Amino acid sequence: MDVKRIKYERTGGFAGIRIAADFELEDLAEEQAEQLRNLLDDVDFDELPEKLIKGGPVPDGFTYIITVESEKVEYTVTTSDTSAPTKMQPLLELLYQIARQRARKK
Amino acid sequence: MHNHRHPIHCIVPPHMLKEIATNGTQGQRDMAVETLKASAQMRGQRIALSDFTAATFRVEAVGGKDRIVYDAKNGSTLPGTLVRKEDDPPSADVSVNEAFDGSGATYDLYKNIYNRNSIDNSGMRLDSTVHYKVGYDNAFWDGQQMVYGDGDENMPENERLFNRFTIAIDVMGHELTHGVTQFEAKLVYSFQPGALNESMSDVFGSLVKQFQKGQTAEQADWIIGEGLFTSNVNGVGIRSMKAPGSAYNDPVLGKDPQPAHMKDYVNTVSDNGGVHINSGIPNRAFYVVATEIGGFAWEKAGQIWYIALRDKLTSSSNFQTCANLTHQTAGELFGANSLEQQAVKKGWADVGITIGESPTPTPPGDGCFGSLMRLLGAAPAKQ
Repeated sequence: MDVKRIKYERTGGFAGIRIAADFELEDLAEEQAEQLRNLLDDVDFDELPEKLIKGGPVPDGFTYIITVESEKVEYTVTTSDTSAPTKMQPLLELLYQIARQRARKK
Repeated sequence: MHNHRHPIHCIVPPHMLKEIATNGTQGQRDMAVETLKASAQMRGQRIALSDFTAATFRVEAVGGKDRIVYDAKNGSTLPGTLVRKEDDPPSADVSVNEAFDGSGATYDLYKNIYNRNSIDNSGMRLDSTVHYKVGYDNAFWDGQQMVYGDGDENMPENERLFNRFTIAIDVMGHELTHGVTQFEAKLVYSFQPGALNESMSDVFGSLVKQFQKGQTAEQADWIIGEGLFTSNVNGVGIRSMKAPGSAYNDPVLGKDPQPAHMKDYVNTVSDNGGVHINSGIPNRAFYVVATEIGGFAWEKAGQIWYIALRDKLTSSSNFQTCANLTHQTAGELFGANSLEQQAVKKGWADVGITIGESPTPTPPGDGCFGSLMRLLGAAPAKQ
């Protein structure tokens, strides 16, 4: 998947504060864009289940909605802290950091 | 996550189980307590069994305050490595001790004031995990245990917004109360029942803090999560029960979105239907009730809310139902038209809810949106 654009949204949590980011990969520093591309590859993002959710809602847990777009396709995965596989955690961490960096710049 | 040993069931007499539970090895103790708990779960099915009553009483006697703290070591695997158990000395790690002490303070409030023996009222062990993930600015209850992150410790210092989540004692009370709700009213975690679930956690979380500090309703700050924000944030805490919507107003985080009245009820599908937003409404109602009654909030207002949570509310209860049932409970505990019952009426009136109205008509703020969401199955059916 030739990633062009990413939309990230994290909702819920103890504080209930929503954070979101919508950016093109070319907006990121080269190194960060490469890291993100690799993490998406590591989890085979476009082969993950669209609803990557086990069980009912976890009180105060986060919900993550991640959409990855290429020129031709767009794929969205919804997941949570306790449902996301271990190998996906670094991706969730990096996306949150990017969202925070971008929230600050605004 | 937890060890599931085979309970000994009815072969071993209760008096012997009690001995094992008190004097056995850890493994034996766990097994005996499991068996006593299993007996308690048979309530209603085997009333004729004379040993049963004895066994239920013994659950109370054997399953006292029992805490374990694990360290996830910044990973996402739960529960992680055991770092402190009930009789261990304090750890060198402040998060470990805060999780241990906070769950202990919560246990004490429930036991000493409401005579409740832990989350399940049968001495369930209180498990907590600290140092969950990296840059994890959150705490949650996963259905079996409490989980705490370290805040956004991986951000540059001048950009950090959150401290470790064990820093505020009401956070532990909040998470543990999600467990109590899971065993009692079982409020569905979406829309109004979900916001009530959240509010119950804030109410008892705040009461844990007030109980520990020995504060009256007038002296308490009614802030949830005081100390969670770093000094980079313009805010006093995550929520204000006294003045919902006023806890923070920050360039990065935005403004506290909580309403304090039904006219400002927020319709959203985000956050399981705004459970952390609309909880401001029942939170404010409790605050008004507690200050109207005066004195220590855990004594009367807390008792009314606890009995309602334990005996009256059901999984689909909405705000109106909760108002009616807390009013009914106050009448039963303190007398019809008592000052306490009047205070409950006044508290709900303050947030735009009139006692006695049927919960069936669409409440203000729910409107067409709520009907649509129920039609789509996104919201629980009304009572």
